[in-house]
Amino acid sequence: MTRRALVPAALVVALAAFPLLQLAVGGFNYWLHMLLIVFMYIAMASSWNLLGGYAGYISLGHSAFYGIGGYATGALMTFLGVSPLWSAPLAGVAGFAIGLPLGLIALRTRGPAFIISTIALLMLARLALDNTESLGGANGLSLPLPDLPAATQKVPFYYGMLAVAIAAVYTSYRIRHAKLGLGLRAIAGDEVKAEAAGIPTALYKIVAFALSAVFIAIAGGIWGDYNTYLKPSDLFQIRISAQIVLMAILGGRATVAGPVIGAIVLVAADELAVAKLGATELNLAAKGAVMILILLAFPDGIVGTLKARGRLPRILDWG
Amino acid sequence: MIDQLQVVILGATLGGVYALMAAGLTLIFGVMRIVNIAHAAFIVLAAYLSFWAFTLYHIDPIASIAIVMPILFGLGAAAYRLLFARIADSRRHSEMTVLLTFALALVIEGVTGFLFTGVFRTTTPDYASDSFELGPFYVPKGQLYATALSLVLLGALLGFLRLTRTGRAIRATMQNRAAAQLVGVNVRRISTLTFGIGTALAGASGALLSFLFPFFPAKHWQWIASLLALIVLGGMGSLLGTFVGAMLLSIASAVVNDRYGPTWSPATFFLALFVILLVRPHGLFGKKAEL
Repeated sequence: MTRRALVPAALVVALAAFPLLQLAVGGFNYWLHMLLIVFMYIAMASSWNLLGGYAGYISLGHSAFYGIGGYATGALMTFLGVSPLWSAPLAGVAGFAIGLPLGLIALRTRGPAFIISTIALLMLARLALDNTESLGGANGLSLPLPDLPAATQKVPFYYGMLAVAIAAVYTSYRIRHAKLGLGLRAIAGDEVKAEAAGIPTALYKIVAFALSAVFIAIAGGIWGDYNTYLKPSDLFQIRISAQIVLMAILGGRATVAGPVIGAIVLVAADELAVAKLGATELNLAAKGAVMILILLAFPDGIVGTLKARGRLPRILDWG
Repeated sequence: MIDQLQVVILGATLGGVYALMAAGLTLIFGVMRIVNIAHAAFIVLAAYLSFWAFTLYHIDPIASIAIVMPILFGLGAAAYRLLFARIADSRRHSEMTVLLTFALALVIEGVTGFLFTGVFRTTTPDYASDSFELGPFYVPKGQLYATALSLVLLGALLGFLRLTRTGRAIRATMQNRAAAQLVGVNVRRISTLTFGIGTALAGASGALLSFLFPFFPAKHWQWIASLLALIVLGGMGSLLGTFVGAMLLSIASAVVNDRYGPTWSPATFFLALFVILLVRPHGLFGKKAEL
């Protein structure tokens, strides 16, 4: 193992050991919950970054896959009795299978028209679930409660989200350093030139679209199971899309570490704002204002800006 | 047969309002190549202004247009100067502006939600719940007035664009920004003006919507998705296309509403969008290179 891999490895070991504290001492349920949310957003922002960052195709509708994953898990659990252990990865498969044809349609366009079609995709998905009575319609679907004592209830979900986060970041890392990542970044730079240079742009874009759906769908699946309740108006939210996009931009698009940093900073800031100021709509306004400031002043985000100035700490320089 | 015609009438009388809602969006896209995701948030904001004018001062929502339009014009022009003017020549202009307007929409939604809470609101002038009877058909007065007024405003816009010097400068900028600048158009001033006009049109349509549909701060997502669908159908940046797209989709959604119930009628817009993207990505009246 090289020295550079040492820090992430130590971090993963520490995070994996954390629930032992809860089991041994107890009283860490709040921290388990917060970390679980951080993992979830790390997975989702990294996943979004494959398409929105590397390929430069901004999607504002990726929370559709969050909902699709949630409902795929919910349906598998309630109707087929599939164990949550299997239903969450299967939600990822569902995300991929649904993302592929949707990508085929949406990626016929680029620029503004693509972004518009992703919003419409989210609205359409929500309408479809609102009107599917067998899955509870607009009232939602209750899932079976996990059969665990309160002290350990969060632990399996914690590990589930941790695993998705690691898988998403690792995938992002591998793609960044592979031919696919190079091709995607060429597409972001100039699609016509990329095509002319022999990059199979259509194939690459669709793969990126479908892959970016996978981890979000798995995260949605685990979250639905954790929450034991699915509701279209909770899952298919444009606010969740906004959160994902903001995290990736804040941290730095098209970088591996960016979405991770963005997710940590934003979840912490959200929690602090709710604790200090209460959960008002002003949070949303503040989020929008922060997004505007970053876009105008630091369009490369935290990681991108630090890197451009040569100030990026080595442990965050993941390529 | 009569039932079907009635449905078409209901759809058509909303079509004009949709066209007015989308006209500002088209204009802003045409001149600045900005897809203004915040457009419907401005519409909802204007609906709230009308609502409070109506509730507190008993100002008729239609009359409130005279107050709402100038306010929204100022907000729009200020938003352009503060946010968009500085990135007009950015290499990543299109995605930057979409993200910026998206963020602006969040700000407006958050502020309206904070100030006015999430309660469903609607203004209730007498004509909102009344209708004309024409033989076997009925036409809701509210919808008819709203569409008539929308057509008047759209006509005024068209006249302004065709007949005045400033209007010609706006059209020149739409056709070719660089060339307009070369022949002496102050593109920055024209852009600010257009953003203001587009937002003022959003304001007028918001005042009209206040008595047509119940609204709440987050409602704008549903509207912006529908409006974007219809301007893509019409071909982005084409005012004629916007009008035709609005009429077609308004009637289509009224038919879907009648056949499959009100929950599915918004789906008309989104499905139409996907079909258009598949069949004719540049829309009915758009030029191929637009997008």
